Amino acid sequence: MNDLMSGRMKTLLIFIAAVVAIHFLTIWAAPRLIMQVVMNGSRAQALNMQNRAAFSAPITAASRDVVMPSPDMLYSMCVFDLSKGPVRVSANPGLKSYWSIALYAANSDNFFVVNDRQAGGAPVDLWLVGPESKSAVTPTGSKLIASPSTQGFLLMRVLTGNYETEKSVVEPARRTLRCDQP
Amino acid sequence: MKSRLRRVTEFLVWSFAALVLGIGSAWWAVKKMPSGGDSIQVGAWKANTRAGSTDADMYTRAGIAVNALLALGRSETMYFVATTDDAGKPLRSRCTYRVSGAPPKARWWSITAYADDMFLFDAPNRHYSLNGTSAQLDEKGDFAFTTGARETAGLHWVPTPGDRGLVMTLRLYNPEPSLQTAPSSLQAPSIVAIGECQP
Repeated sequence: MNDLMSGRMKTLLIFIAAVVAIHFLTIWAAPRLIMQVVMNGSRAQALNMQNRAAFSAPITAASRDVVMPSPDMLYSMCVFDLSKGPVRVSANPGLKSYWSIALYAANSDNFFVVNDRQAGGAPVDLWLVGPESKSAVTPTGSKLIASPSTQGFLLMRVLTGNYETEKSVVEPARRTLRCDQP
Repeated sequence: MKSRLRRVTEFLVWSFAALVLGIGSAWWAVKKMPSGGDSIQVGAWKANTRAGSTDADMYTRAGIAVNALLALGRSETMYFVATTDDAGKPLRSRCTYRVSGAPPKARWWSITAYADDMFLFDAPNRHYSLNGTSAQLDEKGDFAFTTGARETAGLHWVPTPGDRGLVMTLRLYNPEPSLQTAPSSLQAPSIVAIGECQP
């Protein structure tokens, strides 16, 4: 009788431990899996944005790539892959209204952002290196940024209160974004 | 032989139950769990002060990834989310709400209506939000707009067709330092239900 009780108790304890482990594993893995889909899923493949800037259409009700899209922003993006060396990011939007370039690690953390005010009208020039990079050579004029992950995501936001009337200004501005592996 | 089959069956049943409970509780945690210590509420609006931050805990990170992927840190942008009106009733798309208040202390702001899947409503007039550019301020300097199935005369209208949960997101781009330091000092826009909900 005691052996039977002991066996059932052991099973129950193993079950509870498994539930807790699966719970924490799911919480830990969810942002990483979602980012993997964003960076390497079919949409990313279609936009061909590995170390290359891509420019998505203005946000509408049909936009289903990322949850909670802002209809007031024009998005441009690139997936940076630092496994084969640094990636140079540059942009010169020259807009007086809000824009920003944000970098996200593979776990979804936003580890760097620069906006129009911080750029102060000057072009953005970033030299992105991986977490294990030993490269100390940064091109003149570039700002060295160490990514916490080898692969990550760049998202450029350009404010557009009314896309149709601002199109001729904001489209050329955002298309100054470059994301290249030299 | 029978005993062995029984043991395998029991193992599979226990494993399946552990998977359902483990993943289900994780899903509940990121979608429904009551706000933790890093969350604040002002009026109907809630915010997590560590959203988009590199020092976010694993629950915050998972919640942001599921509900608001690619969020920015609060020095850049602050996000407040409302799923109820000022009376605490869950927002429904078939109801009409008047949203009003003083323009928030930020360089630029917007309030956007999302369906409960966190994507935009198929608004026939393509009005998905009210923002610092489109807002018309009254003599007191306040903005106002309505959401719902029917337009309210004289006010900016953000259509929310259908009958489903409604989520409003207030974005503050480059919020003033005082607001970054004390997010609960936000002058929260009010969300008030108008009339009966559409059947």
